[in-house]
Amino acid sequence: MFLHNLLYEIKSSLRVRDLIFWLILFPIILGTFFKIAFGDLYEKETKVSAIPTAIVETADNEAFRSVVKSVSEGGETLLKAEYLTEDEALRKLKDGDIKGVIYSGDKITLTVSGDGVEQSVLKLFIEQYTLREKIITDTIKNDPSKAQAVIAALSEELTTSEEEPLTNGNTDFYMQYFYNLIAMVAMYGSVTGLHVAMSQQANLSELGARKCCSATPKSIGILASLTGTWIVQSICMVVCVSYTAFVLKVDYGERLPLVYIAAVCGGILGVSFGFFVGSIGKMKQGAKVSICMSVSMAMCFLSGLMVGNMKAIMADKAPWFNNINPAALVTDSISALNLYSSFDVFVTKIITMLVISLIFYVLGLLMVRRRKYASL
Amino acid sequence: MQVFKLFMKVLKKNLFTSMIYVIVFVAISIPMARSAAADKAFKDTPIKIAVFDEDDTPESRALTEFIGRKHKLVELENDKDKIMQALYFETVNYVLIINDGYAERLVGSDTDGLFSTQHIHESYATVMVSQLLDSYVGSVRAYLASGADMSEAQQSAADAVLSQAEVTIARSKGSEDLSEASSTHFRYLTYILISVIINALCPVLLKLGKKEFRFRTNCSCMKSASYSIQVFAGSAVFIAGLWLLLMVVSVVQNGGMFTGTAWYAVLNSLIYTLICAAIALLICSFEPSDTVVNLLTQIIGLGSSFLCGVFIPQSMLGEGVLAAAKFLPAYWYVKVMEMLSGSEAFDGSRLAMYMLIELGFAVALLLIALVVNRVKYSSAAIKLPKLTAQPQKQ
Repeated sequence: MFLHNLLYEIKSSLRVRDLIFWLILFPIILGTFFKIAFGDLYEKETKVSAIPTAIVETADNEAFRSVVKSVSEGGETLLKAEYLTEDEALRKLKDGDIKGVIYSGDKITLTVSGDGVEQSVLKLFIEQYTLREKIITDTIKNDPSKAQAVIAALSEELTTSEEEPLTNGNTDFYMQYFYNLIAMVAMYGSVTGLHVAMSQQANLSELGARKCCSATPKSIGILASLTGTWIVQSICMVVCVSYTAFVLKVDYGERLPLVYIAAVCGGILGVSFGFFVGSIGKMKQGAKVSICMSVSMAMCFLSGLMVGNMKAIMADKAPWFNNINPAALVTDSISALNLYSSFDVFVTKIITMLVISLIFYVLGLLMVRRRKYASL
Repeated sequence: MQVFKLFMKVLKKNLFTSMIYVIVFVAISIPMARSAAADKAFKDTPIKIAVFDEDDTPESRALTEFIGRKHKLVELENDKDKIMQALYFETVNYVLIINDGYAERLVGSDTDGLFSTQHIHESYATVMVSQLLDSYVGSVRAYLASGADMSEAQQSAADAVLSQAEVTIARSKGSEDLSEASSTHFRYLTYILISVIINALCPVLLKLGKKEFRFRTNCSCMKSASYSIQVFAGSAVFIAGLWLLLMVVSVVQNGGMFTGTAWYAVLNSLIYTLICAAIALLICSFEPSDTVVNLLTQIIGLGSSFLCGVFIPQSMLGEGVLAAAKFLPAYWYVKVMEMLSGSEAFDGSRLAMYMLIELGFAVALLLIALVVNRVKYSSAAIKLPKLTAQPQKQ
């Protein structure tokens, strides 16, 4: 009986074509958007080409002029500097032709119209110059004979820090958006789980009414329906991970098979959550779908889908929440594979996902069992 | 007014469903704006640093004290997994190990690798810390070269490195009227508006567009234009209500009523609301199911937000991405917000041009929706069920 129900559940799930189609298409489209959007980000963050800058001289400052010349000439230049009057410089800044205006005189100041990476580099350049100028001025004031030694010390190129790699995995900040995409698809599995609960209740669907009259025990019917939905949802999860890993070439590290396991467990959790919501009360399908969707979205938001550092904020304000948020559990389990050499965190997250799935399943079952209908 | 009344009746029945989306997305929008506003690149905000002093000399302790003046020092156990966990959950942003022999090498010729550092993500803040360490060591060495003793050199270097933040950064005019949290809130409204309006309006429009309703209306004496106008009026009242609600939230975010150029942000959001309503109308023309509407909303909302610079600043996106994003209305919405927040110089004529482009998108989407509707619901397109002759009873 179980296998018979399971077979027909899978068949009927596959016949809800629009939902399955969109559940598969959804990560493909969004994943492609993510890949396009993040494709150039690394280069933009790490490579800064010559920054178009205007220099406005309010007083004669020969030293600064020579520094500007040295960073504007040669192979890898920092600035693409041009000397302009204040009006011209501000007009160009307004038109977006230059990134900043440096006022050179007794004091060096900077005017920018934005707060991007280039402007930050210009600020740093000014700060470095001001620092060196101060040290040299102090030396000339105290002991002019040491000026040459100080200039020599300041001219040294220092690399005082050496980065110690913490892991061999991919720690790219933007990877978490792909982890969240997998979490989102898993959570959207709640809609399929919702259909299972709705189709078991005689007061909510015609199919439910027919099932209630059948001889199959409710627990077996529900388990067969849920298993069928888990299988279909797992297929969606496998497609999602495969597309991002093999077509978009997203680097999940060396433990890709375990990423599939995390995604499938996430899918099971999503379906169980939907089953739980579907079992609550007599609300119509539309209302329950909106609860599933909006709660899923909120969970994904709190695990960092829209704001990258959101999970860190949650870890600071409510550390317990990341341990029960289904979306965060999915993203944490996948990122743990990249971050830790041991499997402790990964296994903990997977077990937590399965335990929460079981809780949702039991709670849902408790709500729909032994329901009797006097009239429909 | 029959159709308008029917719209309101259907709306009333669906209000609970619609309000779930409104409440959740409004609830999301508040922390979203606050957390993102605190994450701007240009800000010199202190970060959390854990220092492991393996040298343990007066020089290394002076360095730790110097770092503590600029950043927040955090105690952390020297265990690899604990360090990884702290870095991952950002309870610590940067781990600095002052290597053994720091004091000796500070005065010597070999300064490479004085420190070992650990961090998970390369960011502006982590680069700045490495730069700060280089500046400090360079300055100490310069002061030593000027004849100062070690403690004097360390003190002077710390003061010099930390006092250089007096660089004047003038922001363009027009950006003062919008607080940082408020400008981020308006930027994020792109996503919130599209999600809320499509999710809330589509179920109502889809119910009104059901075949049973349409067939009855089509064979009534009501003109098609009158029907459309009444549906538009109903939709307009609904989205105006939603927009006003979101503006009340925006006023709260702003910490008071808007002033000066901040009103352009309000106008911009109104225009974008029209675009979202037009997108909702267009989606409904294809009669998708409620679930598909939601998935489509996320694709449109999240996709355009990532491609057009809502979640990641436009300045960070590649030129190819930005060139493609110009064909999406969210790009022009964000351009207006970049101007109002001071990221781009304020220029009234360009601001008007951006808004006109947005209006152009709204009109174009509306026209496409109308054409699709007209074709779909024209008498020729309606397929009536085949009538089969019933055998007559003898």
